[in-house]
Amino acid sequence: MIKVKQLSKAFNGLQVLKNISIEIDQSEVVVLIGASGSGKSTLLRCLNFLELKDSGEIEIKGQAIDVNRTNLNKVREDMGMVFQHFNLFPHMTVLANVIEAPVHIKKKRKQEAIDQAMGILQKVGLVDKAHDYPEQLSGGQKQRVAIARALAMEPAVMLFDEPTSALDPELVGEVLETMKGLAREGMTMVIVTHEMGFAREVADRVIMLADGKIIEEGHPTEFFTHPKEERTRRFLQQVL
Amino acid sequence: MNAITSMMSIFQTHGLEFLKATVITVQLTAVSLLIAMAIGLVFAFFKVSNVFILEKLADIYVFLVRGMPLIVQLMFLYYGISSVFVLTDFTAGAIALGIHSGAYIAEIFRGAIQSIDRGQMEAARSLGMPYTLSMRRIILPQAFKRAIPALGNQFIIGLKDSSLVAYIAVTELFNRALSAQAENYMPFETYFVVGIYYLILVLIFTVIFNKIEGRLDTSKRSRRKGGKPFDQGKTVIQSV
Repeated sequence: MIKVKQLSKAFNGLQVLKNISIEIDQSEVVVLIGASGSGKSTLLRCLNFLELKDSGEIEIKGQAIDVNRTNLNKVREDMGMVFQHFNLFPHMTVLANVIEAPVHIKKKRKQEAIDQAMGILQKVGLVDKAHDYPEQLSGGQKQRVAIARALAMEPAVMLFDEPTSALDPELVGEVLETMKGLAREGMTMVIVTHEMGFAREVADRVIMLADGKIIEEGHPTEFFTHPKEERTRRFLQQVL
Repeated sequence: MNAITSMMSIFQTHGLEFLKATVITVQLTAVSLLIAMAIGLVFAFFKVSNVFILEKLADIYVFLVRGMPLIVQLMFLYYGISSVFVLTDFTAGAIALGIHSGAYIAEIFRGAIQSIDRGQMEAARSLGMPYTLSMRRIILPQAFKRAIPALGNQFIIGLKDSSLVAYIAVTELFNRALSAQAENYMPFETYFVVGIYYLILVLIFTVIFNKIEGRLDTSKRSRRKGGKPFDQGKTVIQSV
């Protein structure tokens, strides 16, 4: 589904990603972990070209992406993204948030988009909030709307950038439950998170980044019980 | 007591004439502000475009307009414009005022656009929305709302500045005041009466703007709908 080869990225001379290579298969759930500054968010943002790589190759659904030739908007339609701070559109109702892209990009008829959106809101448990504005929602509800908004574009992959980090502890569960539901349905997911319990339960693979490099990866049971690298062990001790 | 009777008599003799001139002042203000809004929006886009030439062009425009007194620009543009094009004094004056206010409005729009959280643009782009669509649907509606108070202020300044076109023979309110006091030799009383006309105009302007501001305030809107804004204290990042 996604192939990354020798990806590098620097910000103002600071090398954030160094020769990263990963492959992510259809329906795979990959969790990226690592200390802050390790490059995990940058890697995620490179996958939908919110950050442009300096060098290396990114292939999505078998298509190599050339930033100058490929229509990045089309690529992004296929890569739903959920942000730490939700980034809902505050001037629109929940429903309008969800149908915005389908109506204006996929050119769906409004009624069709609304029907589809209500179905998705049903799935994330927020049908009764369809006509509320984002500011009337709790953090957990906002994040579930953000997930619904991304799903409305029927993406092939969902990217999550620390989706629960800005939430009060008691609201984390509802968002994780929604994500688990997606994983069960076979959605391909790449998740940056500090929720190790979630990673252990849902991930097919856990990847540990440090200083812009992948230092260890593996199946979560193996990864969490017998980490091979000293740095992984230290990191897990700190967060668990 | 004497002054008050003089003012009453000025009002009696010139009241209607001043009212007609007030209509011209309002027309002049409206036309010049429409021009200014269009110019301001275009140059605000230039300023946030990240295109070097456009940014410089906008900088130069703002520098020239802000760097000279309005009366100098007015004379300069009036004689400049009317030496090339055949225009009525009204049109020439409106264009000159528009060019002037446009610079300030460009700065207001630029500030408002840049004050919108970066995450809004990222969220729109991540859904596959192209830059211009994201601007139009997501950024500008929020920026515009945020610009309203500053715009209202600028509109009032524009209204008062329109008095300067009295010197290029447009028969607006201040122009009529100039002739009236030359006839009646009562400058103090005449300007006092005209001052009251301006005050009433500004008062009406202010009331209208406060109405618009109130209507666009989302927190008030949700309150009207009977819902309560949810834990606003915690959602600063999203909803400010």
